[in-house]
Amino acid sequence: MTAITRIAREEWRLWLRSKTVVAAALIVVALLTATSVLTVHRIASEQSQRLEQQVAAEQTFFAQPDRHPHRMVHYGHYAFRPPPPLAMFEPGVDAVTGQSIFLEGHRQNTAMFADTKAAADLGGFAALTPAGLYQLLLPLLLIVLGHALFLRERESGTLAVMLAQGQSGVKLALGKATALLVVIAIFMIPLIAVAAYSVSLGESALAAFSLVGGYFAYLCIWGAIVLTASVILKQRAVSLGVLIFIWLFAALIVPRFAINASSVAIDAPGKIESDLVMLAEQRKLGDGHNAADPAFQRLQDQVLKQYDVETIEELPINWRGVVASYSEAELTELLNDYTEKRMGLEASQSRMFEWFGLASPTISVSSLSRALAGTDLATHHRFLRESEVLRFDFVQSLNQAHAEKLDYTTDINRNNDAASAQRARINSASWQVLDEFRFAPDSASKRLGRTALSLGILIMWLLLACVIVLLTARRVRV
Amino acid sequence: MTSPLEARSLSLVREGNTVLDDVSFTVAQGEIFALLGGNGAGKSSTLLTFLGFLEPSGGDILVNGTSVGSDVALARSAIAYLPEAAALYGHMTAYENLDYFLDLADKLASQAEIDAALERVALLVEARSRRLQSYSKGMRQKTAIALALLRETPILLLDEPTSGLDPIAIDEFHDLVKALAEGGQTILMVTHDVYGACQVADRVGLLRRGKLVGSFAAENNKRINTEAVHAAFAEREAV
Repeated sequence: MTAITRIAREEWRLWLRSKTVVAAALIVVALLTATSVLTVHRIASEQSQRLEQQVAAEQTFFAQPDRHPHRMVHYGHYAFRPPPPLAMFEPGVDAVTGQSIFLEGHRQNTAMFADTKAAADLGGFAALTPAGLYQLLLPLLLIVLGHALFLRERESGTLAVMLAQGQSGVKLALGKATALLVVIAIFMIPLIAVAAYSVSLGESALAAFSLVGGYFAYLCIWGAIVLTASVILKQRAVSLGVLIFIWLFAALIVPRFAINASSVAIDAPGKIESDLVMLAEQRKLGDGHNAADPAFQRLQDQVLKQYDVETIEELPINWRGVVASYSEAELTELLNDYTEKRMGLEASQSRMFEWFGLASPTISVSSLSRALAGTDLATHHRFLRESEVLRFDFVQSLNQAHAEKLDYTTDINRNNDAASAQRARINSASWQVLDEFRFAPDSASKRLGRTALSLGILIMWLLLACVIVLLTARRVRV
Repeated sequence: MTSPLEARSLSLVREGNTVLDDVSFTVAQGEIFALLGGNGAGKSSTLLTFLGFLEPSGGDILVNGTSVGSDVALARSAIAYLPEAAALYGHMTAYENLDYFLDLADKLASQAEIDAALERVALLVEARSRRLQSYSKGMRQKTAIALALLRETPILLLDEPTSGLDPIAIDEFHDLVKALAEGGQTILMVTHDVYGACQVADRVGLLRRGKLVGSFAAENNKRINTEAVHAAFAEREAV
């Protein structure tokens, strides 16, 4: 056994013989296990529920009877975002962004049903997740375990005895670091178990184990910070106080400040604000329900010319369907323009938030965690884009059916009496235009690519922390 | 012949305060040299410079003729150090403490050798497997002395070695130190115990405010020594 492993082993002997340390470790293990089990159970149930709801929504749409095609445009459809397997560790933005969207004509609705089950959230406390425990609680336990790693030796005089046996400060530091590394490795077991389980559910091993690597690096950074404090500070109480302050600053204050600073620096209007601003421009496009709206006069001239007829009644297609289709395309372009701008601003805020990782490794690991788990803002944006494509496609397919399968005269007379209304219906086989929607996270390499900045900052933190530990350990004094 | 321990015009300044000022002495092989002085006289700091824990501000410190600054590892490998507080781990037994520190010193010792060392310092057999947190100060001191014995180094540095020991244990300790010196070990001890130092040491040095103000053979100058020592402790000018 080398001196380094022997020092690590003796550190462990001390921890195992200390009732306080064992009790603290048991509490954390219990909390970690309970949170993991509860989150795994919740996410697994949400995953199957949302998939079932997606299938049910499609079946309900297909099962609609013969109707007027535009009624089906407003009948609408739902798109669900099932949580990816790694959401059982890192639920990410799910809690605030919503997981399903009602898709209908002329509108881009907001995602709904954010954390419908987390009623306790109404009290303003964030739900405890395994990722949250790893980001906040485990560094705290490392502080409790390690704040006196060197100080205890210095205070009791054993540091002088150890050095007098011919061991260098660096070797002592490496021994202490090894003891902490073993603690961190044990901390990783629940995460490794969740990662392996998620792989069995179809998650990419690359993403799952990159997540494990990211958290390992994060906890190693904290281990190095703790070790450095215990080497350079002279009193146990000071070391504990300084480390708790660093923890408060890095894990609680900076992330909240970063959120505020990002949203102040990059002002992104919310969905409702965007909708209000957009309303004026939307009115200029005309009302797609009113085929006689002057906004469609140019279109009418073009179509009449194209079909070489004088009146819309002479057209071989239903003019109202043509207007609905044209209006939807124009409106969607406008909506997409605003949505893309809003999502661009949100993405910029998110990017700026990531840069705050330079002041706090907690920010870097949380960004990396969400990206790898497929529960980040970028994934939510992709869900919004894909569900919008689905919406536009089925609405336009119904508008096409409106134009091609329903006669114009029959259409405009549909409100005359019950028989007319009946005649203005088309066959329900036309509802088969709806595409199947199954949202899945990006490929592992794409997700990994999105973590480049956070990963880079995390690696920088790790290298810096290790160098500082070694430099301070070289100058250790009794 | 090279002295195992030598301080050459040793000066030490810590945080602006002069701790040692132009201190010079040698300790020959097999000799016991006791440094006496009041609190803050610089006794423990002198020991720490020999271990390379404190860097001299001036002069030099040599172990077996080699400057500690040039090869601190060599110096530490030649020295067994017994700190004042018998710094050992309370959560470990005597056996575990000895095993650990000997391992760190890269020194192999059999169970029989460990037991022999503990026997030599008169640590009760039934206490050896108990954790040190239940030990008296004297028992801890005995364990620490056993560690120093087991290191089998040519030089022994002792910081207040009899502090906390009862009179019988002090006598036993003195006998042990004398036996070690007779076996060829070079011993530098710092102590407040004037009479004990005069009893066990071959020579006594007096430190006052970081200066070595006197040095004499203990056996032949007991009366003078006592007066001088008292003067040093009382910080009188004439020594």
